Amino acid sequence: MNTSREPLLSLREATVSFQGFIAVDHLDLDVGKGELRCLIGPNGAGKTTTLDLICGKSRITSGEISFKGVPIHALKEFQIARAGIGRKFQVPSVFRQLTVRENLSIGQSRATGVLHNLLKFGSNDDRSRLEEIAVLVGLRDEMETLAAHLSHGQTQWLEIALILAQDPALILMDEPTAGMTAHETAKTATLFNRLRGKHTLIVVEHDMGFVRDIAETISVMHQGRLLAQGTTDEVANDPRVREAYLGSGGIGHA
Amino acid sequence: MDFIVSQILTGLSLSSILLLVALGLAVIYGVTGVINLAHGEFVMLGAYGAWLLQTQLGLGLIVSLIPIFLLVAALGWVIEVVVIRHLYDRPLDTILATWGLGVMIQQIVRLTAGGELRYVQMPPSLSGSVNILGATDSAYRLFVLGVALAMFCLIWVIYRYTSFGLKLRAITQNSGIASCFGINSALAYRVTFAFGAGVAGLAGALISPLKSVSPEMGTTYVVDAFMVVVLGGVQSLLGTLASSGLLGEISGVLAYYSNDTIAKALVLLAIVIIIRFRPQGLFAPRVRA
Amino acid sequence: MSGKVSFQILTYGVVCLAILLLPIVVDDAFLLNKYSRYLVSGMLAIALSLSWGYAGILNLGQATTFGLGSYCMAMYLKLKTVPIHTGSDGLPDFMVWNNVTELPWIWVPFHSTAFALAAGILVPALFAALLGWFMFGGRVTGVYAAIITLAVMVVVNLIIIDQQSYTGGFNGLTDLAQFELFGFEFDAYSASTYYLVAIGLTISLFLSLAVTRSKTGLILQAVRDQEERVRFFGYDVALYKTFVFAFSAAIAGFAGMFYTIVMEFASPTFLGVPLSLSIVIWVAVGGRQSLLGAMLGALLVTGVQGALSESETFLETWTLIMGALFVLIVLFLPKGLAGAFSALIDRLAPASRAPISQAVENSPKAEAHIGGAA
Repeated sequence: MNTSREPLLSLREATVSFQGFIAVDHLDLDVGKGELRCLIGPNGAGKTTTLDLICGKSRITSGEISFKGVPIHALKEFQIARAGIGRKFQVPSVFRQLTVRENLSIGQSRATGVLHNLLKFGSNDDRSRLEEIAVLVGLRDEMETLAAHLSHGQTQWLEIALILAQDPALILMDEPTAGMTAHETAKTATLFNRLRGKHTLIVVEHDMGFVRDIAETISVMHQGRLLAQGTTDEVANDPRVREAYLGSGGIGHA
Repeated sequence: MDFIVSQILTGLSLSSILLLVALGLAVIYGVTGVINLAHGEFVMLGAYGAWLLQTQLGLGLIVSLIPIFLLVAALGWVIEVVVIRHLYDRPLDTILATWGLGVMIQQIVRLTAGGELRYVQMPPSLSGSVNILGATDSAYRLFVLGVALAMFCLIWVIYRYTSFGLKLRAITQNSGIASCFGINSALAYRVTFAFGAGVAGLAGALISPLKSVSPEMGTTYVVDAFMVVVLGGVQSLLGTLASSGLLGEISGVLAYYSNDTIAKALVLLAIVIIIRFRPQGLFAPRVRA
Repeated sequence: MSGKVSFQILTYGVVCLAILLLPIVVDDAFLLNKYSRYLVSGMLAIALSLSWGYAGILNLGQATTFGLGSYCMAMYLKLKTVPIHTGSDGLPDFMVWNNVTELPWIWVPFHSTAFALAAGILVPALFAALLGWFMFGGRVTGVYAAIITLAVMVVVNLIIIDQQSYTGGFNGLTDLAQFELFGFEFDAYSASTYYLVAIGLTISLFLSLAVTRSKTGLILQAVRDQEERVRFFGYDVALYKTFVFAFSAAIAGFAGMFYTIVMEFASPTFLGVPLSLSIVIWVAVGGRQSLLGAMLGALLVTGVQGALSESETFLETWTLIMGALFVLIVLFLPKGLAGAFSALIDRLAPASRAPISQAVENSPKAEAHIGGAA
């Protein structure tokens, strides 16, 4: 699959165990440049843990993770982020005591040095870019609002906007549509389709409707391993996938 | 041989004081997560209680222990209701509030009882000395050691074998879920805080004949107690026991070989290094965060 | 936005100007000396507001770096007294009493004015940088960081008291020379020293304002809110925290140098627990998330305390009142007087919010907005 694309990210035999519990088990995963990959699987399959391993929140016990051909699993979180990997978390973690504009400014993290940023006072050069992002996620009128005062849906959008401001080569999204209305979910799908190509995305998602709308390749995880991989139809018709989802009403209703 | 036994006994005596002082802090910290910087003042109040009951009412120290425990526990109860319960979700602010409370208690004592040193008489029946393996030790010090171990066992039994202890363990695991099962965590916190304060008061009363009593005496004890708890590991009663034993023996040796100031500085540096490299304590198992 | 910033700069400027012009009205040398002391507390409050209010690092040992700065200045001024308060070999008097035969090597460079002035800022900053790297590199946060700063302060204090022959021990460094810069003498009881401290305060305030207004300041506030999240944007959180910790220490050291000039001695009490607690109280009263608020809080509390200090009995009660006030502020006014003040402004002038809520077009958002604000 996707042999035409050079892999941007690859996991080789990635394994992590928490006190004997193996959450991710010899996982091999390749994601090509510009691809939008959906990662699905029943609860406890190790999807979120996989994202944690990629961005450095958790550490692999064995195996290798490389990004742009360079191993990254030994780097610190901020070094992985600087290499070009951004993460949106499942639980919204915006900076509640700062305004939307300030949040976005934090997200814009091309320059990370203390002294460099010490001499930077709300400079105008990146302002238009922030406005652009705010318009894209519908927060243009809330630029001066404290993030603590946003609604739940708006907070989710701000979370996504933070990633857009960061502009990383690889974006890891953990359940971006959780708690969104159908309308908002559709809007998110549109946004993701616009992002593909320019960015590489890995999206962990439960909402199969949303996955159908955006996915080209789906990877299915089960018990810490890669169970199947392919297009939506291939995956949906795979008997192993059906079996893994047994009891949860099938893949379409997960 | 005599020398070694007497060194060990000196260390044991220091350990028993440490254990007594640290138990209250360990209980409060372990269950409610509050670092009570007014803990030293609870100890000081216990010591003043012993002095007051002895000089004003002529009560012996041993008779005074129970009223002192109850009085300081009552104060702890009031403080929990008025201040602490509003701060459980603001850990940094609990340090500040208990610090402020400590200053207030110290100042109230200074204003009412005066700033001069006070002395408490040992119970006459325990003022003799006992011969152990050729070394002599004061009977009172052995009594304190006995009480410290008894208090430890009592808390251990409450925590492990009573239904209240089970509730406490449930709350420390997850207070939210515990409340879903109908455990009144607010009340449990209150009882714990009051009990911890009472134990601190008891400790103060017991050590009052061994040290001079002054409004500032608490400051030293809060540091010592904190050291024991950090070293032993939060939520590990056995750790508290082990670390007070270890620290008592070490400070006995240190005090013998070097001066007091440097020994104190070394103890504090040890706290700093332990917090940095093993925040879960020396004796607690490493658990997944 | 920029209007808000210029309003802030204007307010800060007016306050500093009022402080600078005070000697025009006050002509009493003793009062000016007292006021200079208050200004030094103002600088300390600014330092703590930076680390605690903006970066969430509760430094319970702010007095450590203050004391280090103060001792640097005192060592320099002590050596200036040669040969008045010295023995036969040009040694400070207390060293002679302690049978020290040769000037210790750490004292030698303090013959130089430039070195001493630089050391008063850099020694505290480097000390804090090392401690910060030690703590934040190991991800020590919150309560544990607070306890470490407290413990380290007591250790430094104990060492200073213990090493009597090098530090003057319990008595500190006394009988100092008058501070002199470019041939101008700063008498502790004079308007000139007051101006010196007032300028120091103004510099500290505006430098700190610049830090909080920069993107680095913004990132620090983000760290205070969600430390974990900031890492995943590629910022080295430990480095940022170490920076603000050291910067705050530099201001405290700067303040310490002035304090030695004003008090004409340095003592181990300068890096004691009571002073550190006072700093926390000033900042809590004034409002930790406002530099100006914290500074004014310090001036207010030390001012009231100074006014009452004439009667000894009241000073005893004062400590009690401070303790009670502190507990009340922690309970009911976590953002201090500055927080209460800006909440009041927001309530009195809802007009400033109106354009935003009018701009919200679709109703669900507006509802959420109101719901969130309530």
